[in-house]
Amino acid sequence: MSTTPEQLYNFGFIDEDSKREVRRQILKAIALPGHQVPFASRDLPIARGWGTGGLQITMAIIAADDTLKVIDQGVDECVNAVNLRRLLQRTTGVTTTVDTTAASIIQTRHRIPEEPMRRDQILVLQVPMVDPLRWVEPNLERATIMHGESDYGRMWVYMYESVVKAGDLRIATQYPVIVAGRYMMDTTPIPRWDVMRLHNAEALFLFGAGREKRIYAVPPYTTIEPLQFEDFRFKTEFVAGQICARCGAQDAFLTSHFVVDSDHPDGGHWRSSCSDTSFCDKRVLVNATNQEAPK
Amino acid sequence: MTAPTWILHASGLNKQYGPGCPRCQQFTGPAHNNSQCPVCNTVYACVDAGFTLHQGEVLGIVGESGSGKSTLLQMINLATAADSGNIWYREPRTPDADPVDLLQMDAYRSRHFRNDRLGIVYQRPELGLNMRFTVGGNVAEKLLLANWRHVGNIRTRIRELMEQTELPPERIDDDPHTFSGGMLQRVQIAKALSSSPSLLLLDEVTSGLDLSVQARVLDLIRRIQWEQQMTMLLVSHDLGVIKQLARRTIVMKNGHIVESGLTDQILEDPQHPYTQLLVSSAL
Repeated sequence: MSTTPEQLYNFGFIDEDSKREVRRQILKAIALPGHQVPFASRDLPIARGWGTGGLQITMAIIAADDTLKVIDQGVDECVNAVNLRRLLQRTTGVTTTVDTTAASIIQTRHRIPEEPMRRDQILVLQVPMVDPLRWVEPNLERATIMHGESDYGRMWVYMYESVVKAGDLRIATQYPVIVAGRYMMDTTPIPRWDVMRLHNAEALFLFGAGREKRIYAVPPYTTIEPLQFEDFRFKTEFVAGQICARCGAQDAFLTSHFVVDSDHPDGGHWRSSCSDTSFCDKRVLVNATNQEAPK
Repeated sequence: MTAPTWILHASGLNKQYGPGCPRCQQFTGPAHNNSQCPVCNTVYACVDAGFTLHQGEVLGIVGESGSGKSTLLQMINLATAADSGNIWYREPRTPDADPVDLLQMDAYRSRHFRNDRLGIVYQRPELGLNMRFTVGGNVAEKLLLANWRHVGNIRTRIRELMEQTELPPERIDDDPHTFSGGMLQRVQIAKALSSSPSLLLLDEVTSGLDLSVQARVLDLIRRIQWEQQMTMLLVSHDLGVIKQLARRTIVMKNGHIVESGLTDQILEDPQHPYTQLLVSSAL
């Protein structure tokens, strides 16, 4: 009997015992929102730091009837997203999609999709750096004790120093938040734009770090409080007047890129477009057919 | 006139590093001039230590290096876990409330207690300060832990504390590396005072400073004690420092308290041979 190479692997690539172990740690992470749960991170056919944590979570929870979407920086078609999607699709045979609303599991790096997620959806985030206390306490053992005792004074000093040195809370990504009034969590790798979209959201958010062997979670309807002062509030990225050149969106997270134009005196110009390409494509389509744009 | 109430009562505090063996008692203690058992290598850092500290009092702990005085201080600071014993604490703001045993508190409450009610100043500033933060950031840490969340109010309070500890407030955002040793001790004192603690712990605060700076730091501590009626526990190997600040003194040797009493009495009429040696060496 001939077999295709893909059939040599277990459903979802990793073995069932490993999946069970990851699932147990996921349950623990859901029970303790924001708490970093150690797990036995397995070797995968991609390098550490390329999304192995998120990938193992997806492999552990995915079922044959799931619909999968994989994005990187909001884009469905970049190299990392395409390769991860292909690996998952070939080892599970599940249906894949670029439509956020059609997906049951979305694996992502750097973004939460613009379209609101539902309670039947799970967002799996690939995490490069787990602990917000790493900036102020490099010793892992001491940082663990600090989490255990809610000893976050030093992190607050870090925020205070940010105000003193930069005149405002100048933390671009990895913005620290308090989850459910208890644990401090790094929202890595999402931008500030997405931080408050974790707050009391309907969907389940799972964070996996393969290199650091940690899983943490934000269950549905969990409070998220960004670290901020009464006189220096948390702010999202916003540039007045910036709109997406493709779909005209103003209320989405936009990225800028330089368009080379030899006729332009500066050799080109900056152009903004939606970071979430699926959302942008939908809006372009709707605009073209004069329907109401998705919100 | 009512007698001053005690705020801290420690009894039977023990701390040993090692398993211990039946022959430890035979070889360790002041009588054998040894803290370490030669059979099992167990170190007896603190043995059956106890004292009572009254509101507004300064208690000195004196002894040579390795006598266990810093271990005792760190047990009071709840930074080193005692093997056995009790540390009863009575909150001076609510003197009618029942005392609590600090050693029975869980880690979470103990950390809050340390932040709110205790202040500590170390001999080495890098132990008490984070040298990567600004001077203001270091002083702000306890305020932030006590849920101060207004940067403007925090900075006003830091400037007040800097003035109180004779530091130039305009240097609030400077790097601690640009401060002298004496100034860093003042920063530590400002940080320790920021939460208005009930008890200030001073661990060899003037060691390593030159004499004129030492005198200014001692003056500052004395002034704070006088103005705020601050209760202090002062560890030093320098009898001169103890004489200037402490009303009562306990003398430690090889992990044991060998003598205790009024500082004048101990300095003028030492009873234990070790105290006599200490006093004669100093004078």
